Amino acid sequence: MIRSGIPRLFRLAVRRRDRWERDVEDEIKLHLALRAEQLAAQGAAPDEAYREAVRRFGPLNESRARLLDAARHREQQMQRTEFFGDVRQDLSFALRTLGRQKGWAAITVLTLALGIGATTAVFSVVSSLLLHAVPYPAPDRVVIVEQEPSAGNNTGMHVSITPAPPIVNAWRDGNHTFETLEPYRSSTAALRTNGDPAQISATWILPSFVSFAGERPILGRLFSPAEMASHARVALLSESLWQSRYGGDQAVLGRTITIDDSVYTVIGVLPAALRTPSRGRTATDAWLPLDLSNKRLGLRVVGRLRAGATIGAARHDLDALSGRSGAYPPGKLPFVARISTPADLVDFREALLMLTAAVALVLLVACANVAHLMLSRTASRHRELAIRAALGAGRARLFRQLLTESLVLALTGAALGVFLGWIGLEALVALRPPSLVELVAARLDHTTLFVSVALAIASGVAFGVIGAVQSARHSTHESLKAGSLATSHSRRSDRLRSLLVVSEMALSATLIVGATLLVRSVVNLQDTDLGFNPSGVYAVSVTLPKSRYATPAARAAFRHELTSRLRVVPGIRDLAVAEVTPGSRSFAIGKFEVEGEAPSPASTETSYIDGNGVAPGYFTMMGIRLVEGTTFTDTSDAANQVVINAGYARSHWPSGGALGHRVRVAYQGNGTWKTIVGVAADAATGGPGSAPQAPMLYQPSGDSQYGTSVMIRTQGTADVVTPVRALIRSIDPQMTAPTIESTEQIVANSIAGPRFSMLLLTVFTLLALVLAAVGLYGVMAYSVAQRTREIGIRVALGAPRGAVARMVVARGVILACIGAALGLGGAYLGTRLIVKLLYGVAPVDALSFTTGAVVLILAALAACVVPTRRALGVDPIRAIRAD
Amino acid sequence: MSRLPVLKGTLDLLVLRALSWTPMHGFEIVTWLERAANGSLELEDSALYQAVYRLEERGHLEAEWGITENNRRARYYKLTVAGRAYLRSETKNWMRYADTVSSILTAAKDGASARATT
Repeated sequence: MIRSGIPRLFRLAVRRRDRWERDVEDEIKLHLALRAEQLAAQGAAPDEAYREAVRRFGPLNESRARLLDAARHREQQMQRTEFFGDVRQDLSFALRTLGRQKGWAAITVLTLALGIGATTAVFSVVSSLLLHAVPYPAPDRVVIVEQEPSAGNNTGMHVSITPAPPIVNAWRDGNHTFETLEPYRSSTAALRTNGDPAQISATWILPSFVSFAGERPILGRLFSPAEMASHARVALLSESLWQSRYGGDQAVLGRTITIDDSVYTVIGVLPAALRTPSRGRTATDAWLPLDLSNKRLGLRVVGRLRAGATIGAARHDLDALSGRSGAYPPGKLPFVARISTPADLVDFREALLMLTAAVALVLLVACANVAHLMLSRTASRHRELAIRAALGAGRARLFRQLLTESLVLALTGAALGVFLGWIGLEALVALRPPSLVELVAARLDHTTLFVSVALAIASGVAFGVIGAVQSARHSTHESLKAGSLATSHSRRSDRLRSLLVVSEMALSATLIVGATLLVRSVVNLQDTDLGFNPSGVYAVSVTLPKSRYATPAARAAFRHELTSRLRVVPGIRDLAVAEVTPGSRSFAIGKFEVEGEAPSPASTETSYIDGNGVAPGYFTMMGIRLVEGTTFTDTSDAANQVVINAGYARSHWPSGGALGHRVRVAYQGNGTWKTIVGVAADAATGGPGSAPQAPMLYQPSGDSQYGTSVMIRTQGTADVVTPVRALIRSIDPQMTAPTIESTEQIVANSIAGPRFSMLLLTVFTLLALVLAAVGLYGVMAYSVAQRTREIGIRVALGAPRGAVARMVVARGVILACIGAALGLGGAYLGTRLIVKLLYGVAPVDALSFTTGAVVLILAALAACVVPTRRALGVDPIRAIRAD
Repeated sequence: MSRLPVLKGTLDLLVLRALSWTPMHGFEIVTWLERAANGSLELEDSALYQAVYRLEERGHLEAEWGITENNRRARYYKLTVAGRAYLRSETKNWMRYADTVSSILTAAKDGASARATT
């Protein structure tokens, strides 16, 4: 007969491989024995019977091998089936248990998802902007090389000097720290194929740039050495221009195109993926050969360091070469190399790093919350686990099952988190500040996805283990005793949970302080008096082709016609020529001197002095108030009149009286003295944020051989862009379209960046705060549930309701206060790191720190409401009788 | 009449049939088959064990060690629910197949129109 059960138990004791091999042997032996017995019973001699049994069985060795093979196969298959069966059983059990506690499971999954989602979105942005800033091979060794004044600069801005070809040649020929150095130059250019001229973006390169960038022509060839040497007019089109202008026609090779009045022959097409390191700017349409013998060019340089070469070593290398190049006076090095990684040059870098830190804090809060949700659940399941252990479930089996449950939660959280991350990234791209054009290219990247899924699995395993360890530590016997809640163990886990909640509270408090600081900065930025009225103001800039506007007279005639005809365009109320338009700055380099005074030590030969050349009507037109004096009364060079900014005037002549003084920008002792005729209010035309203390000199506008720009103020919402374009086309049909920029937009854009970071940080802060409040709620609700009996006794003994409520709330508030204290300490240390993002508010700002504490405690009180009501609702009779 | 080799695939069916009454060990199955076929099937005994292992792997059989009437340890095989269902449907298929084939083989020259399906 078959005896099931017991043999099955034994089976587990024997090593599996030995067992099935022996089984096969036993089975064959038994078969042969039985067959031989059968034959013997039919009258065969014993040895004859055995031989016949073997013959009927088949060739013994061969058959045995075949059967062992079949058995092995069977065994493997069955092990697999068994494993998957167990997994399925664990899974369905996990789903059932989680289904019984839908609220708890939902909160856990959501917590994980929010943490992972926020992290994924922000890390995707960081990864695409900072980690993959350039699309070149070996990106970790790619650097941008510029020059900067060796004496530093006083503008608070990054001043970049584009080195001239002699310097770049010296670098390229002599360095031993770079694998390759690629100079290039980009500019807008007028393209004429047939008919209307179009404005395109052209980049001048050496042919080696293409292989440096890891690309090759998709059609045709690169510039040949002979073409480079003879300055041949040959051009490579970008893929997009080739598609849009020539419909991707192969016959484009050998055709001619006119760029800036010169005729070029098309010799090839370069892929759309080829880009200069300046990402986000307009993509290049035409690639032209760079002429390194033209000493007047300013070049941009990108290079790849040799493996192992440091930026510091490379800088010394290049500076030594600059010194020997003969481009500078001996012993003097006015400009030194500045070498940056592409990521260093990303706008918004500080804000991104701050957001990364913030989102990491959110993730920590989420993890703490999940850990603590898991803990409170295991605590409430001790009895269930103990019963199952008592009924014979092995520790390994229980462990595996808790693990499955955690993994189900973690993976669901991860899936939802990746989805939220994707949505979040789309939202980030949609809300991006205009200066962050690069963000459009941000994608959920593989690394981020991998990391967040790994994170989810790791957290699942970790929390599963915590739960299992706790349940193991708990003796079965103790758990099964009725009402044994106040054991030493549960007190220990209670402490652990309080600790987690306090850290959540602390992290949230830090975030609240940071967010408040940013909110105040943005409010300050918005409230700043700009010193001028940007509404309806546009800057119209025109590039004058050198060939047709070679003489000052021709340019003056164009300017005159432009301004006089603009004046009569309907909708334009006022206009004035200005050489520097809002959003850009222009500097004179030299020592700022006031006549008759000892030179100020603050100003040196390499100081940058802000300046603008404007028409007399500029101040009225822009709404810039003249604090003292008038605008220029005589715009002739001989009169040498200048208007200075109020910020400098105030700091230098605190009691007024700047008028009549003469000032100059001196370089090596030279410079024309100019008489101050007016003091204009500080105008933050590039948006708030620039310091007005430094001098700013307005001079009458003059001639520029490159082009001209006119500021116009429009009436209401009338469209001026179309009529202005039409007007310029009618003056000179061959001129490329003008650039027309809204000053209002420029000012708004300058605030958009800070506002974006503020918005994100506020969202993250709220997220962390909600998570922390959920955590506190969990702890409070659990502790009230644990103390139901105690509360019942107190009420039965006559404790007033107020005392019960106080008892519950006090615990929550104490936890929140500890968290707030720690969090404000963290904020004290952390806000120093975001000084650059603040405007008009100190990093240690009393109001922000108070807000941090108050908001946190309010959230804590809110989290206590439900547990307190539950405590007040305790029925003393039932509470005492229970258990 | 000479002995028939067992057609490929039908051995599984025969084993399942043998076990459809009661669990048996390998030798019991062999003797049952010999008796049921009146000795007209030709089969190496080891082939039967191979079939049994294959069926076990597919989940049509379950095996457990038990004790024979003569107090020997033997591996007993039992039909699973899946095995029983398989036996039922495959028997039906086999019958149809055998009917079809024999109707073709025995039909008059021009009357054969049945089609073999498995």
